[in-house]
Amino acid sequence: MKLFNAEQKMDRLNLIIGSGRLGASLANDLSDQGENVVVIDKGKSAFRKLAPSFGGMTITGDATNLAVLKEAQIEKASVVIVVTDADTINIMISQMAKEIFKKENVISRLYDPERKAVYDGYDIQLVYPAILSVNEINRLLTEQQSRRGEG
Amino acid sequence: MKKHILLVGGYNKTISMSQSLLKKGYEVTVINSNYDHCQKMAEIPKLNVIFGDGTKPFVLQEAQIQTVDIAIALTQKDETNLVICELCKKKFEVYKTVSLIDDPKKIKFFYAMGVDSVVSAINAITNIVEQQALIDEITTVIPVGEGRITIAEVKIPMKAKTVGKKLWEIDLPKEVIIGCILRDEESMVPRGDTRIQAGDELILISSDKKEKAIKELTGEI
Repeated sequence: MKLFNAEQKMDRLNLIIGSGRLGASLANDLSDQGENVVVIDKGKSAFRKLAPSFGGMTITGDATNLAVLKEAQIEKASVVIVVTDADTINIMISQMAKEIFKKENVISRLYDPERKAVYDGYDIQLVYPAILSVNEINRLLTEQQSRRGEG
Repeated sequence: MKKHILLVGGYNKTISMSQSLLKKGYEVTVINSNYDHCQKMAEIPKLNVIFGDGTKPFVLQEAQIQTVDIAIALTQKDETNLVICELCKKKFEVYKTVSLIDDPKKIKFFYAMGVDSVVSAINAITNIVEQQALIDEITTVIPVGEGRITIAEVKIPMKAKTVGKKLWEIDLPKEVIIGCILRDEESMVPRGDTRIQAGDELILISSDKKEKAIKELTGEI
């Protein structure tokens, strides 16, 4: 894989939908790394979670609305990250990004792994907080057990 | 076996629709996430009512989704309706899915997502209102054949210049025929020498130029 040089970094646009704990901290991180970031949230107060050093753009609006997505320059975005707090909204927006705007790189959060079937046939990368937590807790448990075994 | 229809969400719509479907002999199940609404709907005889969120697969399973032939999503949120239909289609392989949609701009997108039928209440209502407002001579317009043919009901006003004329004397576009005339309590199939009277209701079948025909028929002297 090719590494991005500084110039390419300027061209890359990260569109983050949902400025919750996950969306906002991701936006802060990417902004600190010098990336272009646009964050959409339907409530203005959600942007308080962004750091004072955040250098990206914020848009207040409903991202299920095509006009709002266009205003956020979804056409130019190189990656679309959909992390609102509702599975149904995440599903619809990420599928709209794929189907209407033909975005190649779409990442979405899915709380309920049972709903995974709706993503079938779409190349959307998924993050499951529940499964990640289960794996992490299992890892901690086995670590503790092995430590106990040693001791 | 009876066809099984699942209605998800909605309240007033769902009640009247489930009553009409039950009367026609279907097996009907409703899913609703409002407990009070569920209790009210449970008073309808023979209706299966499930309390829960229809976007959750286990709630759909509780509603015996495997036996459902048609699933209809009637909630007020587009994203909820979409997910319900996609789950029904992709996870449970329901034969037909129907979704109500609020934002008419997403109709094409919903079809692309595999929803079999997308109904836009806004489009339907604006069309009807527009018809009623712009062409007040027409009382009902029914589109058939994917909307290429329309059947319209036209009332002949007292002062219309066509009153007393025979049908063949009227210059109608060839895309329009008069299929039936309703006069008082009776209905008749008109012939070329039938005379039009004030107060007649004409049933027009047209492929095009309906507006011109209506102007011709109802225009004042």
